[in-house]
Amino acid sequence: MKKQKNRDFSALASSLAAIVCGLLVGLIVLFIADSGKAMQGFGAIVTGGIVNRKNFGQVLYYATPIIMTGLSVGFANKTGLFNIGGPGQYLAGAFAAVYVGVKWTFLPAGLHWIVALLAAALAGALWGLVPGLMKAYSNVNEVITCIMMNYIGLNMVNLLVRQLLFDQARNQSRQPAATAVLPKMGFDKFFVAGATPSSVNIGILLAMLMGVVMYIVVNKTKFGYELKACGYNRDAAKYAGVDEKRSIVLSMVIAGALAGIGGALYYLSGAGTGIPLTDELAAEGFNGIPVALLGMSHPIGIVFSGIFISYLKVGGQSMQAFGFAPQIIDIITSVIIYFAAFALFFKLVIGRMRRRKEENGVIKAKGGEE
Amino acid sequence: MLYFIIQQMMYFSIPLLIVALGGLFSERSGVVNIALEGIMVIGAFSGIYFINQTQGALPGQPVLLLAILVAAAAGMLISLLHAYAAINMKADQVISGTAINIFAPAFVIFVARMLQGVQQIPFVNQFRINSVPVLGDIPVIGPLLFQNTYITTYIGVGILVISWLVLYKTRFGLRLRACGEHPQAADSVGINVYKMRYAGVLISGALAGIGGLVFVIPTSTNFNATVSGYGFLALAVLIFGQWKPWRIAGAALFFGFMKTLSAVYSGIPFLVGLGIPSNIYKMIPYVATLILLAFTGKTSCAPKAEGIPYDKGSR
Amino acid sequence: MSEYVIEMCDIVKEFPGIIANDHITLQLKKGEIHALLGENGAGKSTLMSVLFGMYQPEHGVIKKDGQEVKIKDPNDANRLGIGMVHQHFKLVHNFTVLENIILGVETVKGGLLKMDDARKRVVELSEQYGLSVDPDAIIEDITVGMQQRVEILKMLYRENEILIFDEPTAVLTPQEIEELMKIMKNLAKEGKSILFITHKLNEIKAAADRCTVLRKGKYIGTIDVAPASKEEMSEMMVGRKVSLQVEKSDAACGEKVLEVEGLSVHSKVGGKHLVKDVTFNVRRGEIVCVAGIDGNGQTELVQAITGLMKIDAGKVVLKGEDITNAHIRKRNTSGLGHIPEDRHKHGLVLDYPLAYNMVLQRYFEPQFCNHGFLKFDEIYRYSDALIEKFDVRSGQGSDTIVRSMSGGNQQKAIVAREIDRNPDLLIAVQPTRGLDVGAIEYIHKQLVKERDEGRGILLVSLELDEVMNLSDRILVMYEGEIVAELDPKTVTVQELGLYMAGSGKKEA
Repeated sequence: MKKQKNRDFSALASSLAAIVCGLLVGLIVLFIADSGKAMQGFGAIVTGGIVNRKNFGQVLYYATPIIMTGLSVGFANKTGLFNIGGPGQYLAGAFAAVYVGVKWTFLPAGLHWIVALLAAALAGALWGLVPGLMKAYSNVNEVITCIMMNYIGLNMVNLLVRQLLFDQARNQSRQPAATAVLPKMGFDKFFVAGATPSSVNIGILLAMLMGVVMYIVVNKTKFGYELKACGYNRDAAKYAGVDEKRSIVLSMVIAGALAGIGGALYYLSGAGTGIPLTDELAAEGFNGIPVALLGMSHPIGIVFSGIFISYLKVGGQSMQAFGFAPQIIDIITSVIIYFAAFALFFKLVIGRMRRRKEENGVIKAKGGEE
Repeated sequence: MLYFIIQQMMYFSIPLLIVALGGLFSERSGVVNIALEGIMVIGAFSGIYFINQTQGALPGQPVLLLAILVAAAAGMLISLLHAYAAINMKADQVISGTAINIFAPAFVIFVARMLQGVQQIPFVNQFRINSVPVLGDIPVIGPLLFQNTYITTYIGVGILVISWLVLYKTRFGLRLRACGEHPQAADSVGINVYKMRYAGVLISGALAGIGGLVFVIPTSTNFNATVSGYGFLALAVLIFGQWKPWRIAGAALFFGFMKTLSAVYSGIPFLVGLGIPSNIYKMIPYVATLILLAFTGKTSCAPKAEGIPYDKGSR
Repeated sequence: MSEYVIEMCDIVKEFPGIIANDHITLQLKKGEIHALLGENGAGKSTLMSVLFGMYQPEHGVIKKDGQEVKIKDPNDANRLGIGMVHQHFKLVHNFTVLENIILGVETVKGGLLKMDDARKRVVELSEQYGLSVDPDAIIEDITVGMQQRVEILKMLYRENEILIFDEPTAVLTPQEIEELMKIMKNLAKEGKSILFITHKLNEIKAAADRCTVLRKGKYIGTIDVAPASKEEMSEMMVGRKVSLQVEKSDAACGEKVLEVEGLSVHSKVGGKHLVKDVTFNVRRGEIVCVAGIDGNGQTELVQAITGLMKIDAGKVVLKGEDITNAHIRKRNTSGLGHIPEDRHKHGLVLDYPLAYNMVLQRYFEPQFCNHGFLKFDEIYRYSDALIEKFDVRSGQGSDTIVRSMSGGNQQKAIVAREIDRNPDLLIAVQPTRGLDVGAIEYIHKQLVKERDEGRGILLVSLELDEVMNLSDRILVMYEGEIVAELDPKTVTVQELGLYMAGSGKKEA
């Protein structure tokens, strides 16, 4: 499988190029904002994630939900679907997890957080199910249905939080019971700066594990073969006897579940954040898109790109010390996505050149036939 | 009461209408534009900042008209990024749109802070027209359409009529639609598909920029880097309107009505009595769009070549 | 003034790795019908694209009336009076006929379209040249033949003098073809010069004055059609003597493998019958051929049998087992092989490596899959063996992404895969479409070999020669019905054509 490696390499190269472009734009923006401190600010972005153990812990903590939403986008992409429904699925999962965390206190300690995670997966799956069904049976573009589901989810969760889990004082959802909070695994002892521990917990390990599981499912199994066949050519998959409608629905359901777990992992961390009542879609949901793009939809790549995007975020927090607006990080991220979209084009060009070379080879092999 | 609801409805419906018509031009030329949300943010920011700076120096309505031009120009500028990615670089149009949606709010907060230290931009709403002279005095129709209104309402209606004329009655419209349905056919008769698609995206940028400003003015007194998902709602309007101008107008009115109910229901005894939470009203447009799509998905009127980059070289 | 209205002199057009046009010269006289003959891949389309300004040649000049001209884009071509009816029509499906005709050359008044004048001219033109169309009909509602007339009117509306027809007959019924030939002659009489691209010799004999032959990108020669025989032209085209006559013995039929009874399929829109009450069977050891003009229900019939389309009425029985509502997977595993009509749409996952495509219907079998995990070593070993056995050529063997392979080798891969699955019934739909003569001969031989090994073969073909040469029985489909069952030994091509056009008497 030498060829496969070749392709992965060109994907990696284009991702790196997009990152470099993004950082360059970031640097320019820093110079425009305050040229005197620009280099310091840039230094903070680049090193903020590793100046101390706590910061690196925070990198892993923030990476957890976006790895999950990234896996969600990447997985759906294997079936040729663009899951822009991450925010809705993420929020649905978050609500289900917090609901179980707050209300189902009858569950024993070791089981409570696991049930909460499962509930989140289920809720996310439900939110993915609708676009999946509509794509498979009515051939409705999933981008549109996902956007609709995002806002339905947002309003639904706002409504349910207000009615069931409202913490009036903080205008957000109540905190889950201690038994539903994710185990720290001793990370709070290791990832510290002075006395303040990082919020990182078992979630990052679960997210990484999910990355590995998804890698195996997509690349090594019959199921993955079927999903990819549907993604590349739905008609051929049908011809081959694959139940293509079922594959599409399953793909969206699994993608939804992954994003839903992402929501749970964030709000069950015990860091004190509740689900806010807002009219804005969760950034973690959308950030799955750049994460998946940068990771070239490869599950392991997504784990790394999730950590990278999170690293930028923590770096951005350090950068604020120099008086820069944290939105610079979002600007960098958006530029990276923009160029990553170009990168697909570059890949196409490289692919075409390579194909032509191959055609040459074939023509020579055939002695100029055709 | 009814008058109040209708007047309120216009505040929500008109920006939806303008933005959805913007989306219409882009999609009819073959480029999916999910960047409407981001473009609205940029347009609203530029327009509001312009008002913030010029207010007092000029009378109200001229400021508003100039601000609309500023918003349109800013919207076009940012949509150029989308056009370049989608048309020249043949990028995935959804991805480049997403990039703009993430970029826009971050960018305007950054710039606002640079310019004035805080991210909110305040403005004084001196644009409301209590009653249009003469027309406002007509019974029923007067209070319904010509009182407590904004000049933008009539601009919106004007844009609707012009959009319909341009799309269906002019050479430009015919060619634009051809590019969205069958770009190879358009190319074969010497139409420059790239140019037409640029035109489509730029018009959509201008209209989305205007829509962003028109949305913020009646509903707020400061601009805080968001248009609350209105760009996405406008996308729903576009689909609900089946890519046709008059139907889009109908959809915008319906969506605006639902939005109004969610905003004012607490003041309407009948609706309070029903006990339906406001979130339900907010949800209805999205649910309605989903249901419509579920039934019409297979016979969709979406432009055939929408979302597919046009590659002149491919045979 | 030059004798030639258009001359393309010594044209060279290279694509990376391939010389599509290798010093080609083409001279078109005013008022003549000039055929451009060559196999698929001979370089005809490239040459026309050069003339039409879509490609720039590396070498050579184009002259109009003896004057050298540069054609940089289709607009230039149009200005020089060159128009083209593309093989795939360039019509906007939801525009009216009139809108399609004026697109690109609209007249406006005060910024608004002036449709009335255009309508008047279109009506005049259609009367002058006998091209009847309804200017207000929507393109997707009218027949293919009428769409072609719209394309011709588009050229006339632009006052083009040089008309290019790219494979214009592929989609037409024999009547429509005859009609088209008449129209072309009419146009030539009115002083238009016509370039007619084809690989069908009958049509050249019927309509063309002169003929230029290309082969593998090279210029072979230009001849007068009248004195030349079809055999000579065919030899020029292919480069050797060709006999598409397939050597085969008489069929030795065994039991029935496929029985179709009263099969009907309705259209999803409008509920029209696409396939209407079709009954027939296929026995082991015979090739049954479904003949007919494209679009008479053959595609739907095959999709209904293979499970790609839902059946509205009737029964399909495979080896005695009712599979009317069986899942596609069930059909695939109970002895049905299918070489699909559209290899890119159904037959292959173009972005998968060849090895994955070789096991497209078998990846889940224990040989290739263990507890849900694929056995890649086995898959590649099997694929390598198939590649070897069926001589499928590709850049990196089993690892080649199929998209990068040539059409002929893609088709060979499908044939290899389907034959190696040892089906009892093999359905082959236009298995040789778009292939060169070598590949066609190869696939024909394989089909006959399969027949001789006792498999039942259902062949769907649009090529009359293929039908006559391969089949043991012929079923003719017309408007969704089987209108005749014929014996290829006794029926003539002319009779067969009549049945295909729906004018034969019902016998079966």
